[in-house]
Amino acid sequence: MLLPWEYGVRNLMRRPLRTTLTLSALATVVILVFVVVGFIRGLERSLAISGDEDVVLVYSVNSEENIENSSIAARTAALLSASLQGTWKRFGVTHLSPELYLGTRVRTGDDGGGLGLVRGVTRVAPLVRRDVRIVEGRWPQSGEVMVGKLASAKLGATDEALAIGQTVHFEGESWRVSGRFSAGGGAYESEIWCNLADFQTATQRQDLSLVALLLAPGAAASEVSLFCKQRTDLELRAISETAYYATLQQHYKPVRVLAWFVVVLVSAAGVFAGLNMMYGAVAGRIRELATLQAIGYRRRAILISLIQEGMLLAAAASLLAGAIALTTLNGVAVRFTMGAFTLRIDSVAILVGCGVGILLGVLGAMPPALKALRQSVAISLKAV
Amino acid sequence: MALVELHNVSKQFRKGDETITPLDEVSLQIEEGEFVSLMGPSGTGKSTLLNLVSGIDAPDAGSIVVDGTEVTALSRGQLADWRAANLGYIFQTHNLIPVLSAYENVELPTLLLKLSSAQRRERVELALDAVGLSDRAGHYPRQLSGGQEQRVGIARAIVAHPKVVVADEPTGSLDTETSEQIQALLKRLNRELNMTMLMVTHDSDVAAIASRQLLLDRGKFLDATAQTEAGRHAS
Repeated sequence: MLLPWEYGVRNLMRRPLRTTLTLSALATVVILVFVVVGFIRGLERSLAISGDEDVVLVYSVNSEENIENSSIAARTAALLSASLQGTWKRFGVTHLSPELYLGTRVRTGDDGGGLGLVRGVTRVAPLVRRDVRIVEGRWPQSGEVMVGKLASAKLGATDEALAIGQTVHFEGESWRVSGRFSAGGGAYESEIWCNLADFQTATQRQDLSLVALLLAPGAAASEVSLFCKQRTDLELRAISETAYYATLQQHYKPVRVLAWFVVVLVSAAGVFAGLNMMYGAVAGRIRELATLQAIGYRRRAILISLIQEGMLLAAAASLLAGAIALTTLNGVAVRFTMGAFTLRIDSVAILVGCGVGILLGVLGAMPPALKALRQSVAISLKAV
Repeated sequence: MALVELHNVSKQFRKGDETITPLDEVSLQIEEGEFVSLMGPSGTGKSTLLNLVSGIDAPDAGSIVVDGTEVTALSRGQLADWRAANLGYIFQTHNLIPVLSAYENVELPTLLLKLSSAQRRERVELALDAVGLSDRAGHYPRQLSGGQEQRVGIARAIVAHPKVVVADEPTGSLDTETSEQIQALLKRLNRELNMTMLMVTHDSDVAAIASRQLLLDRGKFLDATAQTEAGRHAS
């Protein structure tokens, strides 16, 4: 038979200051867990959804996986258009997007800014990048740019600095912001898009970084690969966009592993907070616990009651941390080398955060409870 | 057959290099409804004997049988169940649970019994009524006087209708007037409810309320037979 639930609940209120401090410590730990898991989930999601399986990227074979380092001839787009049968064509428009993609220093009008990702594109780009939606303003004309939803986060600038009508400066030119776009949470959202020809002029480059093409239904990426292998003079390679981002995911695997390690370390620190509280709570109740045994309560029942106390406090801390995480952390933009992504407090993050919280309660309560219950009842009854 | 039987019970403790023998082949029989007090100098094993009868400590040798159950043969879990059904324990320092009200403290042992909530309520109310604290049921221990706390402790000890009630210096922490009230209460409960009681005390006046008084010294009862006879004549 278990002890009444009220016993555990009221015991928490016995030392209000200690309970409040422990609640705060546990909530802090769980919030940290939410931050790290939200980081991992946000990064994974950003890379996972950045990629369309029907899109093939063609870029320089010498640039490894880094498209920023790629340089291919400007005529590549025309060659691909003329040579490949499997590219999607609609209303006479071949869905093939020549792009110049650079990491460059971008300065905002308020003298803020940082390293940004700029993509020079043509009007075909949104036909190939199908997740891209203009959410505000319009497509950029000459001397204008369109900024992604997370471009300000990537630059470390305010949203106001990249508002429509504002001016940004890069590659020695000034560019007026004409619109904002989203990309369903994908990597493009941290980019700045401008007219390809303007960007080539500004950077004094005639080449391209890549050509992205949308495959027609039934067409295979292998056709593009075969073309690249046959035309060795062009030094091209082809890879499906999903495979490209999957490769990047592998590059970020050590970061994810490290982040999970941080979750474990932070949780371990939380266990000590729980232990400290429960040792204090149990140490002052040695005689009381012995009395319960003398009355006829089994040690298991008392142990469960003490664990209930720890779990109740940890659950309250988890709830508090969850509420804070959902209201203040969810959606917060984080910069990383490839752009920016948002912390994602999704169901998995909630599950991990609250799971860790409850675990802290159980692990924190068990050692002091077991220690107290191992002592002789006869001796414990005389404890002060 | 006696309700409580101790046969050649011995208990030893190690204290550094020294071996202390508070009980040395002690035998004792307590009849049902009997009120036995146990006296003796400090450290002579009075509380040890009480703990052995209660099953919260185990003897090194000998056996203890209560109402036909050999307590010394039970496992720790079985002992807990046995205590819940057969034993009431009155502590010197009351040992009430501070976060529970008087009613909830008295109710604790009944939660271990197979009773309906109505039966439980009836028993708790009767126990509180028996100790004269019905009007303090909702009070927490910190809101009660020492004497009232001890009364709640006594109500908690009798609420499960135990076969035996053991009391370890039940008046030890009370003033004279309150002590006399508690003595009268214990005597009344023994008489009216025919409750078997074993009480440890160092106060001869308190011991005198029992129907039989035993004196324990250096691990042995002093002239236990004579005292037993004297106790029986007195009762």
